Amino acid sequence: MSDPTTPLENGAQGAVTPGTYYGYGIPYLTIGGYPGKIIAIEGTDGVGRSTQIRLLREWLEVQGYGVIETGWTRSALMQPTIDLAKSSNTLNKLTFALLYATDFADRLEKEVIPALKAGFIVLADRYIFSALARAGVRAIDRTWTRNLYGFAIAPHLVFYLKIDERTLIRRVLESRGMNFWESGMDLKLADDIHDSFRAYQRALLREYNSMADEFGFRVLDAKRKIDAIQDELRRQIAEFLAESEPVTRI
Amino acid sequence: MFVTEWNSSALVKAATKAGKKKNALTPMTFSLLHATDFADRLLYNIIPPLKAGMIVLADRYAYTAFARDTTRGVDPRWVRELYSFAVRPDLAVYFRVPIEVSVDRLLARRVKLKFYEAGLDMGWSTSPVESFRMFQGRVLEEYDRLVKEFGLDVIDASGSITEQQRAFRKLVTKHLAGAAEEVETETPETVDAAR
Repeated sequence: MSDPTTPLENGAQGAVTPGTYYGYGIPYLTIGGYPGKIIAIEGTDGVGRSTQIRLLREWLEVQGYGVIETGWTRSALMQPTIDLAKSSNTLNKLTFALLYATDFADRLEKEVIPALKAGFIVLADRYIFSALARAGVRAIDRTWTRNLYGFAIAPHLVFYLKIDERTLIRRVLESRGMNFWESGMDLKLADDIHDSFRAYQRALLREYNSMADEFGFRVLDAKRKIDAIQDELRRQIAEFLAESEPVTRI
Repeated sequence: MFVTEWNSSALVKAATKAGKKKNALTPMTFSLLHATDFADRLLYNIIPPLKAGMIVLADRYAYTAFARDTTRGVDPRWVRELYSFAVRPDLAVYFRVPIEVSVDRLLARRVKLKFYEAGLDMGWSTSPVESFRMFQGRVLEEYDRLVKEFGLDVIDASGSITEQQRAFRKLVTKHLAGAAEEVETETPETVDAAR
């Protein structure tokens, strides 16, 4: 309705200090100087994010860190609505993007910010980058999406589990099969679910890759063995924690 | 003619209802849920009748969000950018009442004040009526700023319904006459361009 003013200065972008808001933020929640850290694990479906997060959590807790996990569409407020919307066919690309943002906001205010304040490590199973990638594939105005997430907090570390499309297809077929939304069937890229999945995931990978440099993704090869990836994650996280301000240990 | 009401899309009704019932909405999720509702109605209820050349009567529009969300502490610039996907209305009319009239009308209704309507989520007062007075008072101040920023037409809503309706019809008639003229003058240009 009104033209977005000074695009990208107010939205999600690379040059933002970790632990601060990307853009206008949430004015009624000042977050300066909180001791907690946000570690985000990004990547498409089927790259093994949840396994890695589970292992990381155990490792961090043994060392005495307080840890919380937060994951996409897991907010108490929004999960039933998102599930309902996905089960019907009434979602359009804008409402899709806005439902995700509402879910994110709910978790940010109720889980992430309190945890940061208490000095916890927040392990985020996907962060805003998945939302930016999905919106990008759906040709939603990039400036708009990035401004929308101007209320988000820049994470301290972002790990991107990178996979190629062939490996991904094999993995998804071997585990649970392809579903409507993971295949981007709403985009009508192809009639066949396999072709649609391939085209959709390829477009998603392109979106993630385009953000990697800007947002400083630490790229890990998701084709490697679970243990090898976990070792690499632990090595980089340990290094980061040693260098940063002490995080509260219980 | 098509009528669309604020917060009426089936999609987000469940979440809004659950959130309101448990008083679980924060100013940000309140804002985002209403934007989602708006986006849903824009695509299904507003744009199609507009394309078909109909008049859409919207009971509240993005300005409601600008006024309320800003009062709740959401960044005013962020919420404007959030709604940048909305179609700018051809005519936006603000029915203005002094806060005391608003409170009196509400008390006369003798219904229980709603939690969010009374701004009880802000914790400014535990008395619903006092909270309503403070919250809606601030909302009205925001509206006055919006009138200037977006050039809203103002109707004095402290008068009788007949008086308000007369003023409203006059505004709409004037606007439609202007729009009709525009269409007439536009037609030859379109023909020219087509050649």
